[in-house]
Amino acid sequence: MTVRPDVRLEDMPMRPVRCRRCGVEVLVRKASWEQTSIQWSTPSMTGCAEPPPDRHRTCPSLLESIGLAAAQGDLEVLDG
Amino acid sequence: MTATESDGVRVIEAEAIPTRYARGWHCLGLAERFRDGRPHAVRAFGGKLVVFAGEDGRLNVLDAYCRHMGGDLSEGTIKGNEIACPFHDWRWGGDGRCKKIPYSRRVPLRARTAAWPTLEQDGMLFVWNDPEGNPPPPEQAIPRIPGATSDRWTDWVWTETVVNANCREVVDNVVDMAHFFYVHYSFPTYFKNIFEGHTATQIMKGRARPDARRPSRGPQLLGNSSVATYYGPSFMIDELTYHYEGFDINSVLINCHYPIDRNSFVLQSGIITERSEALPGDEADKMARRLSDFIQLGFEQDIKIWKTKARIDNPLLCEEDGPVYQLRRWYEQFYVDAADVTPEMTARFEFELDTTRPVEAWEREVERNLAAQAAGDDPA
Repeated sequence: MTVRPDVRLEDMPMRPVRCRRCGVEVLVRKASWEQTSIQWSTPSMTGCAEPPPDRHRTCPSLLESIGLAAAQGDLEVLDG
Repeated sequence: MTATESDGVRVIEAEAIPTRYARGWHCLGLAERFRDGRPHAVRAFGGKLVVFAGEDGRLNVLDAYCRHMGGDLSEGTIKGNEIACPFHDWRWGGDGRCKKIPYSRRVPLRARTAAWPTLEQDGMLFVWNDPEGNPPPPEQAIPRIPGATSDRWTDWVWTETVVNANCREVVDNVVDMAHFFYVHYSFPTYFKNIFEGHTATQIMKGRARPDARRPSRGPQLLGNSSVATYYGPSFMIDELTYHYEGFDINSVLINCHYPIDRNSFVLQSGIITERSEALPGDEADKMARRLSDFIQLGFEQDIKIWKTKARIDNPLLCEEDGPVYQLRRWYEQFYVDAADVTPEMTARFEFELDTTRPVEAWEREVERNLAAQAAGDDPA
């Protein structure tokens, strides 16, 4: 099977966001203030200084950085 | 009318179903049922397997067809640690080697059949399927479930159902929040997915649906919290807590399957429930059986949809849908050679869904249903 990109990326792609604590870069997309998609890469995974021990949690520093990027208009929010 | 993309009509696309079966651990059910002294036939991975317990207690899984003249080993007899073919009594060991031919001086070279690596853990039997024939990597081991071997928890209540659909349909449910409302009459209020390595997780919180359940005299169910993770392509462990007025009920739900062939699979559920003050002694066992019936009902609701739906590789998604495409990208890692697994398939991906709009819409729908029920015109 061919791996296909998410159709929703046609409306708005993922954008790089840098974590203000570790400096790692991940790809982020926000369809609304409450929705967040985060795509990690191998370098960003190894660069994260303090990954939460609970793997089901999102890194709080990264979330804060994403929130800030969205609030400052650096990261577009589709339905913002 | 012919529908083409140029008309602005969206066309459903679906490639052929993969010819190979997923690499990974697959649960064949409770181990105990294979220990009745007889060989068992299991149709899986497009063929037929024989499962047998040797005198040493080990559970073995071989291709069911004897490499001599094709006899069906699942119709044979267990002799010592070997399975004896009903056709000419050739004896096969759990390692896939022919150990003995009683009427012959020696066993021919190359007398080896397909043997599946097995794992017996927490009451379940697993087989490792790998089209390339490599052994299971330790990092993909199925995690232990502490409750399964604890007296504080019930025994497994297990179900098995044959589903006539390709098994990708059941995996898609990991990301499909909205179907929980429309198909299963539950009410999700929080929904998040995380894919990483060979695991795919769904974190969901929900509230009770007063329009879907008859009010009971006992304690009222308020909602549930669930953390469900696929370990590999087919085995999901769901830590599922039901919140009642004044107490919680902790359970572990297994949702797993193995393919029979490309168009059918065996869907299984297993549940254990923790004994507690709220659920002392037999009450916990009763609850486990009730929850199992409820899960089975859920499977039947899914099956009704799968039976008639179209396979679709290009689903049209709204922003309140989960990450179907990223889940399929994750799932693809099990269908390519291990060397062809790309970092994109296994890299961590997180998706938190905005449930604001769904919750608003569903609250209105629940109210409409309740009003209709009160007016005596019961749609449920």
